[in-house]
Amino acid sequence: MNRREMLCKSGFGFGAIAAADLLAQDGQLAAATEFNPLAPQTPDFAAKAKRVIFIFLQGGPSHIETFDPKPALQKWDGELLPESFREFDLAQTNTADGRLLGPLFPYHRHGESGLEISTLFPRIGQHADEMAVIRSCYHESFIHGAAVTIMSSGTILLGHPTVGAWVTYGLGSESDRLPAYVAMTDAAFTNGVACISSGFLPAIYQGTHLRTTGAPIMNLTPLKELGQDRQRQLLNQINQWNTRHRDARPHDSRLDARIANYELAFRMQTAAPDLIDLGSESQTTRNLYGLDGEETKQFGGMCLLARRMAERGVRYIHLASSGWDAHGECRKNHLENAKKIDQPIAGLLTDLKQRGLLEETLVVWAGEFGRTPIMQGKRGRDHHPYGFSCWMAGGGIRGGKVIGATDEFGFHAVEDRVHANDLHATMLSLLGLEHEKLTYLFEGRERRLTDVGGSNDLAQRLLS
Amino acid sequence: MLKITWVLFLAVIGLGHANLIRSATANDDYWSFQKPVRHPAPEAGQLQHGARIVNAVDAFLFQALEKHGLAPAPAADKHTLVRRAYLDLIGLLPSPEQVEAFVTNPSADAWPRLINELLDSKHYGERWGRHWLDVARYADSGGYETDIYLRNAWRYRDYVVKSFNDDKPYDQFVQEQIAGDELWPDNLDLDPKRVYHITADQKKHLEARIGTGLYTLGPLIHESRLDARRLHYETLTDWADTTGSVFLGLSFGCARCHDHKFDPLTQTDYFAMQAIFASSKEVEIPLMTAMEIGDTRQAYPKIVAIDEARKRYRLYEQQTAGKTLSSEEQTHKEKLLIDIAQKVLALPAGAASVPGTRYDGLMEIPTVSVLGHEQPALLKTVHRLERGELYGMKEQIQAALPGALAQATDSEVDLPKPYGSRKALALWLTEPDHPLTSRVMVNRIWQWHFGRGLVATPNDFGAMGQEPTHPELLDWLATEFIERGWSIKDMHRLIMTSSSYQMSSQHISEKAVQADPENYLLWRMPRRRLEAEALWDAVHTAAGTINLKMGGRPVVPPLAEDEIASLRDTFRWPVSADPQEHTRRGLYILVLRNFRFPMFSVFDAPVSSVSCPTRDVTTVAPQALWSLNNRSVFSQAQAFASRVRKEAGTEAHDWIDRAWMIAFARHPTDRETREALSLMDTLSQTDTAAPVDALAQLCLSLFNLNEFAFTD
Repeated sequence: MNRREMLCKSGFGFGAIAAADLLAQDGQLAAATEFNPLAPQTPDFAAKAKRVIFIFLQGGPSHIETFDPKPALQKWDGELLPESFREFDLAQTNTADGRLLGPLFPYHRHGESGLEISTLFPRIGQHADEMAVIRSCYHESFIHGAAVTIMSSGTILLGHPTVGAWVTYGLGSESDRLPAYVAMTDAAFTNGVACISSGFLPAIYQGTHLRTTGAPIMNLTPLKELGQDRQRQLLNQINQWNTRHRDARPHDSRLDARIANYELAFRMQTAAPDLIDLGSESQTTRNLYGLDGEETKQFGGMCLLARRMAERGVRYIHLASSGWDAHGECRKNHLENAKKIDQPIAGLLTDLKQRGLLEETLVVWAGEFGRTPIMQGKRGRDHHPYGFSCWMAGGGIRGGKVIGATDEFGFHAVEDRVHANDLHATMLSLLGLEHEKLTYLFEGRERRLTDVGGSNDLAQRLLS
Repeated sequence: MLKITWVLFLAVIGLGHANLIRSATANDDYWSFQKPVRHPAPEAGQLQHGARIVNAVDAFLFQALEKHGLAPAPAADKHTLVRRAYLDLIGLLPSPEQVEAFVTNPSADAWPRLINELLDSKHYGERWGRHWLDVARYADSGGYETDIYLRNAWRYRDYVVKSFNDDKPYDQFVQEQIAGDELWPDNLDLDPKRVYHITADQKKHLEARIGTGLYTLGPLIHESRLDARRLHYETLTDWADTTGSVFLGLSFGCARCHDHKFDPLTQTDYFAMQAIFASSKEVEIPLMTAMEIGDTRQAYPKIVAIDEARKRYRLYEQQTAGKTLSSEEQTHKEKLLIDIAQKVLALPAGAASVPGTRYDGLMEIPTVSVLGHEQPALLKTVHRLERGELYGMKEQIQAALPGALAQATDSEVDLPKPYGSRKALALWLTEPDHPLTSRVMVNRIWQWHFGRGLVATPNDFGAMGQEPTHPELLDWLATEFIERGWSIKDMHRLIMTSSSYQMSSQHISEKAVQADPENYLLWRMPRRRLEAEALWDAVHTAAGTINLKMGGRPVVPPLAEDEIASLRDTFRWPVSADPQEHTRRGLYILVLRNFRFPMFSVFDAPVSSVSCPTRDVTTVAPQALWSLNNRSVFSQAQAFASRVRKEAGTEAHDWIDRAWMIAFARHPTDRETREALSLMDTLSQTDTAAPVDALAQLCLSLFNLNEFAFTD
């Protein structure tokens, strides 16, 4: 029986098939792997990328100031947009009377490819030949909440699974002691945990929020009244009673799964603190990520943890960088924010590469939208979903290339348009999953991450 | 693959149709679009296990079993039954005394009497109301970035609880939620002449109108509120989809973009459903008489005084900014602060004209969010949208019933406009020969008793859903439901007094396991894990700390630092001041769409953005971490231990017996008693320097047992 269909159609006995890989280890259930929803899955076709590190810039970084040079915009500085743009709504500004604002940072060419990247990201620029920049992203909403929902789950509607949940559902987990889908943030997640939700997929696929201070995962620390020794004694007795209870109730693998989960929980109590303990990392590594720099230490720590998770088999790692909503002074805002992430992200790419992990790790950099070519307030920019940039590296991508383009103002994506659905189709494709085949029956329809879109799958072009 | 297996299975056992997926044209005779046909129940005398047949439920189930050479499991023991009944009907553990009273009662009607007692309990509505809230996608906030607080959603929750407790006929329950305002317009958009009194009738009509709150608690994009066209469209989408899923058991969502591939629902049907709601809007109406509202105006200077006191404090703060305050200045500043507090405390808590009438929060008039009508001048037309895209506007669509379904009931398709179409929809849905309404609800009731519906996809009675395992039983129940005046409690009585419901879940028959491992034919009672709220309630009932107060504003228990870490703005989790409120039933805990109460989230509480017909039951390690390590669980274990000591004297044996009775509704075996004693000994001796309350640890271990988390 096919696991996906089993999950789709059973609707009832999901618990009956959970966590069975653990049972397999304990030799408790012969058909374990077949029924374990988190067992590693064979992708639809061979692919290099095995996991994803998604770096999500919350608030919406300006494409014009980062990866989409618009020298022509400089000469329009202070002018009105042409008439043809005026039917397009923006969040807080008006296309009819907004004045254009020229680019706030110069661009440099990097690497052999000569990829143009703004001076905000000098260190990321050193990886230009690894990076594929997509300059023609777009979607339908200029509102943060809805845009985050689209970028993370492909639709404006709440309650749909996020990319990480789909990927975990499609590929399973490679770790028996850490969650498959982990999310970290330097402040808070826009939309709260909805941005890492499993939506209508079973909750087993939801993202786990990992913290870098205190207990990394909720309820991870054994009660101080007990300590590990007594907890072990208590667990042994719990296991004995649960096993006897189970023996009197054969053919109910939910009971087996629960027994196994107590052992997994026990292992997590050690594995998760080990994960966040950076004591074993060398000074060279610390420097690489900027762990000792005031501005870089927080995001650097997150990037280093991302690498440690990649090594430990975590499937999907979501890193949120906050504060990019530059309505006011865009220059100041972007300078401050870029300083926090430039070195850490560059360090992550370097480190993944030197450890041979970059080929199998897809790194994606994107915000929920870009920012308007017209000015808001004191040289700020408003939300802009009609054309913006993202980039990808690793996972077999041949870098140093640009896909798509916006018009001369950086307003509309005009060439090779890439909707959020296309971006998601591309990510799945790079992981060896066909976006039209990765489905789940919900409310009468075989649902997809890409809904009815995703026809502009860039994977082949990114890989060649 | 499973679908095929399932179809083959059905074909083999002679149930349902093997031809599950049909072309759209062949669908006019699709089973769920035909009126239920009542076949007489098989005669007991003709069946092998006829002697055990109590009512038609058994007759149909046993007949299907017999066809496949299977037999119903023997009855469960009385200890199992009493725990099953309590958890199923009221969601609370029976006390040891309640267990003893039932198991020692030899009378033949002990079981039906127990069921009646539980149905009479006001906690029944809390348990079954929570099931309905899943379907209603209930939440106290709107989701998306700002997750705005829906301050009146709880009134709908209380309406649901009361409706179940009152055994409100289901047809009325449906009518109220869809069109309470249009059917009973004489409620409360307060008549200014009605100074002191709201008549009993008007109160009833007001309650009906609160039912329309269903439509006001969906997901809400709030930020900027600028994308007005899109917002209107998303709201109508939520309303049409919710109506389809909740009442029709049909997922309309697909028809938004294209004609439904498998069901005879067209895109026009879909937008016609949106058009039914297009003249409606959310309104907030006061729940006080004009007189009581007048009282708040009279007291309004007290609000002004608070504002002035706050300004006074801020002014002083500005004047002394950057300065080291002398002790007099410090005292003065504190006095200003105290002044604010005193003025807040001086606010009246309720209306002076009618004692006992309470304001919400700081002298806010209590209100309720319900459906009302948009003004004629502001009405928007509904258009068919190409691929469901807002910018693909096609022809205008009028309010109408779904064509194929209206045909099945010989109903007029077109509806009144611009107002009154909700009323027409509600009346049509509750016509006794409507093919879906009663089937969908009896199927939900069945699912909430057995864990799986006779149709396993309760929100999808269309061709993409599953066909019923027992079509004749489903139709028999659907017609019986209507004959019994749409009484949900009567359906509980019917189902629970059947032999089938009383079967053992532990029974093993190798033949049945081979033939029907998934127990589709119900050869034994399915075992069920407690849902998140039920588990929360069970822990607190065992501990004796549960506060059974009913209704009111959502309660907010405190969270440990690691539990609240994912919440951006902790002000969104305003912890209830009274510790008694922290142990209310799970039903009453604040439901934020962006931040589910962490324990509920771990135990599969629904995301509540769309109707949730069936909860997942996952088994994940964070569940084990919660019951092993969570501090609030541990404090409940300590309370459990104190209760046991108080109720069972000084002997450890008696403690153990009591604890087992509380947690599992049975006495421990001798072996279990020995093991429990030995565990307590071991824990005490492990580290004598750090003594533990071994009984509390034992109680904690009971919370971690499968026997605790499951009902047999």
